[in-house]
Amino acid sequence: MATIQSSAALEATPPQNALRRFQLGMKGTRLILHVITTFLLALGAVVLMIPLLYMISMAFKSPAQIRTDPLNLIPMSALTVQIDGRSAPMHRVKLDGVERELALVRRAPGGNAQFVDPANPEEVLLLPLADAEPIRYFDPRLTNFQEAFTTVPFDRYLINTLIVTFGGMTGMLISCTLVAYGFSRFRAPWLNVLFLVLLSTIMLPRQVTIIPTYLLYNALGWVDTLLPLIVPAFFANAYDVFLLRQFFMRIPLDLDDAAKIDGANSFQTLLYVILPQARPALISVAIFHFLYAWNDFYEPMIFLHTPQNWTMAIGLQSFNALYSTNTHLVMAASVVMIIPPILLFFFAQRFFMQGIVITGVKG
Amino acid sequence: MRIRQWLIVMLTALMAFAVGPVAAQQPVKVTIFVGLGTGTSPTQVTAQRALEQKFNSQHTDIQIEFLIVPYSEAGQRLITMITGGNAPQLVGPIGTSTIADYLDAWADIDAFIKAENLDTSDFYGPTLEINNFGFKNVGLPLGIYPSFIIYNVDLFDAAGVDYPPASYDDMTWDINALTETAMLLTLDANGNDATSPDFDPENVVQWGFDDSWIGTLGRMVFWGPENGGRVTTPDFRTAVVNSPEWQQGLQWYADAIWEHHFYPGRPTDIATYEAAGVGSPLDSGLVAMFHTHTWYLGELRDVLPDLPFQVGIAAVPLNQKGQRIARIHADSFVIPEAATNKEEAWYVMKWLSSAENIEEVCLIYGCIPARASVAESYEARLREVFPMIDFDPIFAAIEYLDNPHHETWVPDRPRVNEVLDRISEQVQQGNRDVTAILDAANAEVQQILDAYWARQGG
Amino acid sequence: MSQASNTPPKRSLLRFMDGWSLQKREAAAAYVYIAPWIVGFLIFTLGPMVVSLGLSFTDYRTIAGRAPNFVGLDNYLRMFNSPDFWQSLRVTVTFAAMALPSGLVLSFVIAILLNQKIPFVNVWRTIYFLPSVLAGVAVTLLWILIFNPQIGALNQFLALFGIRGPGWLTDPNYALLSLTIMSLWGIGGGMIIYLAGLQGIPTDLYDAAKVDGANVVQRFFNVTLPMMTPVLFYNLVLGLIGTFSYFTNAFLVGGADGAPLKSTLFYNLNLYRTAFRFFEMGDASALAWIMFVIILVLTLLIFRSSEIWVFYEGELRGKK
Repeated sequence: MATIQSSAALEATPPQNALRRFQLGMKGTRLILHVITTFLLALGAVVLMIPLLYMISMAFKSPAQIRTDPLNLIPMSALTVQIDGRSAPMHRVKLDGVERELALVRRAPGGNAQFVDPANPEEVLLLPLADAEPIRYFDPRLTNFQEAFTTVPFDRYLINTLIVTFGGMTGMLISCTLVAYGFSRFRAPWLNVLFLVLLSTIMLPRQVTIIPTYLLYNALGWVDTLLPLIVPAFFANAYDVFLLRQFFMRIPLDLDDAAKIDGANSFQTLLYVILPQARPALISVAIFHFLYAWNDFYEPMIFLHTPQNWTMAIGLQSFNALYSTNTHLVMAASVVMIIPPILLFFFAQRFFMQGIVITGVKG
Repeated sequence: MRIRQWLIVMLTALMAFAVGPVAAQQPVKVTIFVGLGTGTSPTQVTAQRALEQKFNSQHTDIQIEFLIVPYSEAGQRLITMITGGNAPQLVGPIGTSTIADYLDAWADIDAFIKAENLDTSDFYGPTLEINNFGFKNVGLPLGIYPSFIIYNVDLFDAAGVDYPPASYDDMTWDINALTETAMLLTLDANGNDATSPDFDPENVVQWGFDDSWIGTLGRMVFWGPENGGRVTTPDFRTAVVNSPEWQQGLQWYADAIWEHHFYPGRPTDIATYEAAGVGSPLDSGLVAMFHTHTWYLGELRDVLPDLPFQVGIAAVPLNQKGQRIARIHADSFVIPEAATNKEEAWYVMKWLSSAENIEEVCLIYGCIPARASVAESYEARLREVFPMIDFDPIFAAIEYLDNPHHETWVPDRPRVNEVLDRISEQVQQGNRDVTAILDAANAEVQQILDAYWARQGG
Repeated sequence: MSQASNTPPKRSLLRFMDGWSLQKREAAAAYVYIAPWIVGFLIFTLGPMVVSLGLSFTDYRTIAGRAPNFVGLDNYLRMFNSPDFWQSLRVTVTFAAMALPSGLVLSFVIAILLNQKIPFVNVWRTIYFLPSVLAGVAVTLLWILIFNPQIGALNQFLALFGIRGPGWLTDPNYALLSLTIMSLWGIGGGMIIYLAGLQGIPTDLYDAAKVDGANVVQRFFNVTLPMMTPVLFYNLVLGLIGTFSYFTNAFLVGGADGAPLKSTLFYNLNLYRTAFRFFEMGDASALAWIMFVIILVLTLLIFRSSEIWVFYEGELRGKK
């Protein structure tokens, strides 16, 4: 009943020494390919990292540094002194061959400026601005991080976010696996139509369904609880079901058949045959769901009232208020917020990449 | 018969006696929705919690609760709550334009004012009119944000140009003086100013004047059109967008960008930088004069002492007709029509705007209290926070409020406003046919008005 | 072949199925597995969808405080006469034509490069994945800075070659291109799916191809590409839906009216502005359902075509 399309390729077992010689001949070409690959990747990585460098840089800047000099990657400040109750920036000026450190008190027409020596503020020197170089010093602001995580109760937000993320992830993994299995490994009337109905649920923009959905959750008493963000995940979603279905459908059917011959029922087949084969896909959907729940702002914003119930994404958004964009705090919080997903991805790769499929039906 | 009637009366009285005290102990909750305007930054959230505690400790019958929603999506959230049967009792602080956009959603408070004959004489006269749209009065004045010009002293010093005056009595400070000053402060990469024949408009490195944080309406109301900031005739039926004042104003704006080059409005100027909320034209040191409102000071609060230049405050100039028109933005609290406890909400609204509390409330939101009686003590507080700012021209501006206000209601305001904002956009994109732009916009606005009145049944 | 016959203990539970044909049992199993979704669909999703369909035939205004009136097809007719509707469709299709193919190809190419045995491959993968982790306001702030015509990194880079860069986000001719660049920055998500797909290709297929004397290019076209078609198909369908639903970045950059000059008035932006700025939920619902139909038709076309170009190793043939 199933067509095993790659059987010819699978069953050809090459003589070992021929293969080795072939691989040796390939070594030179492969080295060149790897060098080119690495070069291209490095180039792309530099381009990709530029915006992130700005983000990191702004996380270490004061609001004044961001506003007056947003694009300098290194947080610098001008050295100033107080002259007559006003702050005056210090400049390094060459005067009669001697380098002096003077304070600029007032700009003047013709590219000149009035300078004074802070030690002797009475004597005012009119000098061309072109000869003066502002004294700037490295001035990173480390308190942004502390401020970002203490001005709002981020610990509370973190707990909520973790509940939503892992609660939803568990529900999503269980339900989507079952549903994707149902859609990919069985034949039943209307199954194709139902699959399209499933897909169609993500074709309607949520702006027009949010009000009826709110009415529903309000009636259920779920508004201002984390339930609307967790419970629906237990009932599968189109994005992850579709992805898992695509991966399940790549797994040769002869594996199922072999399992059935060994006496496995369909659930055991799913557990012991399909899931191990689809590990990269499962990890992918887990990562995606993590990212989605971690960053989602829309639904928490609609359904959560009291700040005690907020998630980190709303907390982050609260720095971005009308009349006061706390860019330094947004960036500091963002830098910290991307660490968990990045660590997750970095370590998930180990399992991800072990998922190399051994198509077991060789003989 | 009589006995039965007596019994009923007795029973009712008994029940009222038994239930009454219980009901009185159950305080009414007034949820205040914050998010359509200012009030959502972390420090404001903390301050509002303190205010909440203060109110709740003073009252047993009413308890308030601030519901804070991040600004960016608050509109969606409010509409969802109102239509989802969960309307807040009070919404604010919100600006006049937002009040006007959502006007259908608010309750009329005129009946409350009349019922208790509320004394409103302490509020600045013009502020009482801002929330009164003729057929509907939706909120007591709370705070205002007068406009002013903030300038970079160092750039003036470097150019050797006199500072713009801070006094509203200086009659030489008109729109032509501003234009001239701005051109002298506009420099190209070679150091030529915009009045020089060698000026290279393709390589501008410093601009003289900017007023970019305002919509077309705010920009045009300065020129003194007959209907002020209202783009229709007083009956709201005829569009008056292409009035002579608008023609003059838009011509000045187009020239400022494309002819005199002192206004950074072209796509290749710094426009996106301003919009980013990462900075402002003034902070960047690239612009000499910036026309803005006092809410900008709240934004600058932490930054001002660290700016690498000195700033000064100047008055808004006279327009071409010799009038002074300073734009003023205002914030208020309003009651949604769908609110279930309007009486209590009205009480809270009064409390927030009362002489005893208005200073504390306005300090949270950064506005100037709309009550004349607290002006002096409030100004003293402001001077403590902003020692480098001269507040005299700012308080003086209250006298020159535009009327009707440039954020006032017109039919289908969000749609009309979008058409109006595209007027400025077209000029920024290089379309300098001012008459054609305004005629087309006028026709579009007229269409919106006609459709509105058709929907209302003539 | 039957699922129940080899598991005697469970048989008693499933006795009611004894008389069923194999097909019937298979169908029953399918429905059992997809039941979680069907239940969730009926409880959470179907109701709001039907409500929005119903509202699309009414004059419902969210803040008017009065009950909606039935207006027949008025909303749909008004929509087709609205220049903004056509503009938003044009913007969305143009963006789709730019961002969708380039994103699909680029993330595929990167996934292939990252699937090689190069040093520190885990680090490289993480770097490429990084941008897709960031979302919302921080991303927009960063890109607004980079696109700044005066002091932005992009134009300063172009100036090194004597090129005078445009006002990326403020010039109507460049705004969509800028958004495309922004979207390409975040292709890490699509890359992961490809990477997972590449991992799933049995290595013995490559070995066999090598023995048959296939070179790198031939192996790509004969093994990698066919094996990856299910994943490509997924990314194509989801990319299509994503493009039509494209909202956040456009909203944060150009506002609800698609500045500059409506050049970024995406379909979904026009819908949002109709619903939450003009408060016309009836019209917005009509817009939503037309969008629904457009995406559905395109998806059906892709599904139809997939029978020709998508190759499933484990596809069930025969009647379904």
